[in-house]
Amino acid sequence: MNYVPGTASLIDDIDKKHLVLLRDGRTLIGYLRSIDQFANLVFHQTVERIHVGKKFGDIPRGIFIVRGENVVLLGEIDMDKPSDTVLQQVSIEEILEEQRLQQQSKQETEKVKMLALKDRGLSIPKADNLDEY
Amino acid sequence: MFRFQSLDEDCTLEEEDDGGLIEEEDEINQFNDDTFGAGAIDDDWQEEHKRLTGLQGGTGLGAGLGGGGGMGGKSDLGGAFDSSSSHLHSSAGQLPLPPSLTFSLSSSGLPPPDVEDRAGEGGLAESLARLILEADPAITGVGAAAPPPCSSGSSLCALQGLEQPMVLPQPSSIPHLNQLHQHPHHQLPPGPSSGLPPGLPPSSMLSYQQQQHLLRRGTAPMAQMNSHSIWENSMGFGPVSISLGMVTHMEDSPLMSIINEVGLPARPPQGRSDEGRDLSERVPPPRSSSPVIGSPPVRAVPIGTPPTQPMSHALNHQIHHPTAVHVRAPIQHRYPPPFPERLSPNTLLNIANSPLCRGPFPPGVGPVLSQIQRAQLLNSQMAEWARRPPHCPPNHTPPIRHNTTHLHPQHRRMLTQRMQNRGVDRGRTGGDRRSRDPYSNLMSQKEKEWVTKIQMMQLQSTDPYLDDYYYQNYYEKMEKRQERERDSSKKEHTTKLITPQVAKVEHTYRPVQFAGSLGKLTVSSVNNPRKMIDAVVTSRTDDEEKREKQVWNKRRQILYTVEKMYSLLLEVQDFEKRFVQAPEEDREALLEQHKGRTLQLCNALREKEWDDRVSDEQCVMIMSVRKGKRLISRLLPFLPSPQAAAVVMAISRNLPALAKKDKQDQVLCWLVEPVAAVIQSLCSSALTDLLQELQGSEGQLASVLHNKFGVTLLYLILSEGERMQSSDANCQLMDDNRWTELVFSVTRELLSVPPSSLSPPLFTPPNLLSLFSRYVDRQRLELLQDKLQITSLSR
Repeated sequence: MNYVPGTASLIDDIDKKHLVLLRDGRTLIGYLRSIDQFANLVFHQTVERIHVGKKFGDIPRGIFIVRGENVVLLGEIDMDKPSDTVLQQVSIEEILEEQRLQQQSKQETEKVKMLALKDRGLSIPKADNLDEY
Repeated sequence: MFRFQSLDEDCTLEEEDDGGLIEEEDEINQFNDDTFGAGAIDDDWQEEHKRLTGLQGGTGLGAGLGGGGGMGGKSDLGGAFDSSSSHLHSSAGQLPLPPSLTFSLSSSGLPPPDVEDRAGEGGLAESLARLILEADPAITGVGAAAPPPCSSGSSLCALQGLEQPMVLPQPSSIPHLNQLHQHPHHQLPPGPSSGLPPGLPPSSMLSYQQQQHLLRRGTAPMAQMNSHSIWENSMGFGPVSISLGMVTHMEDSPLMSIINEVGLPARPPQGRSDEGRDLSERVPPPRSSSPVIGSPPVRAVPIGTPPTQPMSHALNHQIHHPTAVHVRAPIQHRYPPPFPERLSPNTLLNIANSPLCRGPFPPGVGPVLSQIQRAQLLNSQMAEWARRPPHCPPNHTPPIRHNTTHLHPQHRRMLTQRMQNRGVDRGRTGGDRRSRDPYSNLMSQKEKEWVTKIQMMQLQSTDPYLDDYYYQNYYEKMEKRQERERDSSKKEHTTKLITPQVAKVEHTYRPVQFAGSLGKLTVSSVNNPRKMIDAVVTSRTDDEEKREKQVWNKRRQILYTVEKMYSLLLEVQDFEKRFVQAPEEDREALLEQHKGRTLQLCNALREKEWDDRVSDEQCVMIMSVRKGKRLISRLLPFLPSPQAAAVVMAISRNLPALAKKDKQDQVLCWLVEPVAAVIQSLCSSALTDLLQELQGSEGQLASVLHNKFGVTLLYLILSEGERMQSSDANCQLMDDNRWTELVFSVTRELLSVPPSSLSPPLFTPPNLLSLFSRYVDRQRLELLQDKLQITSLSR
């Protein structure tokens, strides 16, 4: 709003801490340093936050450059607001382990489902391969 | 390089096969040409050497050269030497070789016995070599490792090697090379080791890098002596350091030979971070042939590159301060200084190393906004400043001028309020936080503006209702609502929304035209290719076209027919005159001609299928045109009587139609006389028929009476009838009752018709009264008399 009244612009979000959700499901938190006309983002001191259930873990990643088209949503993190959440921060190894377990269980359920469907003669194509809307 | 090796092996020069050698030489020369371009000299170095020795007057070097010349005949080395020397021929043509490079060549090619042979001859060379050795400590160090005779010999070799490039290119072909030869020749005494240290053993092999280093190092001491040596300048060497470890065995490696021939590439000049050069490398050079008119502006920086240096506030001025003349910004400049106090290391790096140090637009490009936009901005700015609060919180950054011209006034008001609130709240905290962050302001102000500008450009539209439908609609609705609410009370407060729009600029190309010139200029460029044909498309519907075409075609046809008949008619009319004038013998022919023409005329009036009847259609068609009517009137006297009668019949039959077309009554009246003539020639039955035709269908007589000609025609007929009756007692007119009946109907019609619609005839025949008196009673007669104003005396 600073520069272009009546429109939305990322100019005012520069140098502020942001949380961005990418299309591949990753959540990045970092300081937005630079943008361009395609909303490509340059993040500084980026941290990838993995959430598994009530636990989360931060993996420091450094500098990230995100191509604009891969952003689902982007929001500023208000540092002044008290961060009282039910989420519990754990170590990286732990969260990765948790994530792995989660993926495993998901795969198993998927397998079972597919088997069941196959038995009934049905098939659901995997949507994650298709990138068409 | 591999070729050389193979050549070395394959070449059997013991035979001294000139043909074979020459072929190989040619091949090599071709290879050279392909690599380095044309200009290779295809000459014998030996001859050149001889010439040069002659010029030099036989110094020790000359002797050395002679020795070198003698080398050419050597068996196993000679081949290689020749091949490489021929290489030198060509290469020396383009790149004047540093003498240093040839050292390795010569050294590689020289067998020890040769060196020893020349040892006695190179007195001068020795002294020079010693001088150089002393001068350069590194070389001395290097040279110390090598055996002294070898060193001197190698120095000689160096000198001889130095000679080689000068000797080889022949004087004949390229004149400028002579100068080259002379130059290094003179320079030779002081500068034999302008590169490689002569102290190096001949058999030492240096890697490419090492040699480069050596060369670079070598030029340092020579810099003072040979300030304008072409060798140095061409190679552009810089000082390099030499280390002992670098001295390695130098062999006739293919790489070495290449280096010797080509020389080492110039190192890019350091420290001269020329901004423009870097940019120009990325962009093709500006087209010299591009005309100014209509060409795209030449950009040194490709479109879309973000800016790096602080812009000369061009953009800011455009957006916020339209022109310096109009607006003196009373506000403090909000732009940070070129180098802010708190610089992060990254920022510094960015600034220092950024290759794009110029703005996105070269200074030649004009401002982005057009005149209209600037005016709008100006207006908006003035409005904004008038509305702005007089002061602002101290920590708040100076208020930014926005381009809110395109916004609805209410929207604008809301925005300003919002901004003020925000400014009060956040001014302090934001500033503090940002001041503590060392990595802040990585994105410079200029870059932010650049992105903003792009975003703004995307917002521009020539048709806001198309592009920004919801916004426009929303505010319209709001306005309507407001109007409804405060309908009666404050009408003056509701302002009309005037959304300034980007002017719809016509981007069609209009070729440059000078007043009064014929044709157009042929100046064209990428954006405005010249128009070859000024083809304008007129789109008309098919039906319309067809109808129009038909109408025009028909008319054209009629006119054509009329013209043709006219020409015949004129001929016929002039017949009399010609007949009289013509001599006796021609008269018959003329008569024949006349007859023929008349026949043609008659035929013209005929229908296509039936040859004997006069075509009704044709007549009417002809008479639909004014000229056609005239034609008929002139034609009638010449037609044979039956045909003439038929024509008159046709006229009377179609009189209403003709009358309609000829509302002015002026043209038809021409027909009166000839028609009268025809009528008088008619027989009674024909006359009756004619009258009948005239009466025709119901209501035809009324319309006939409406028409002047019609009335006249009627009278003519009646008067003729009367004449017939009165003159000839046993005229057949009364034989059948038709005539009587017809006359009765006519009289009836005449009586019934209102006097206004009855048009006065051209003339009234006198015997009408007597006619009517025959058929009608006294009363009616009187009525008729009054109506028609016919008296016994009327004409």
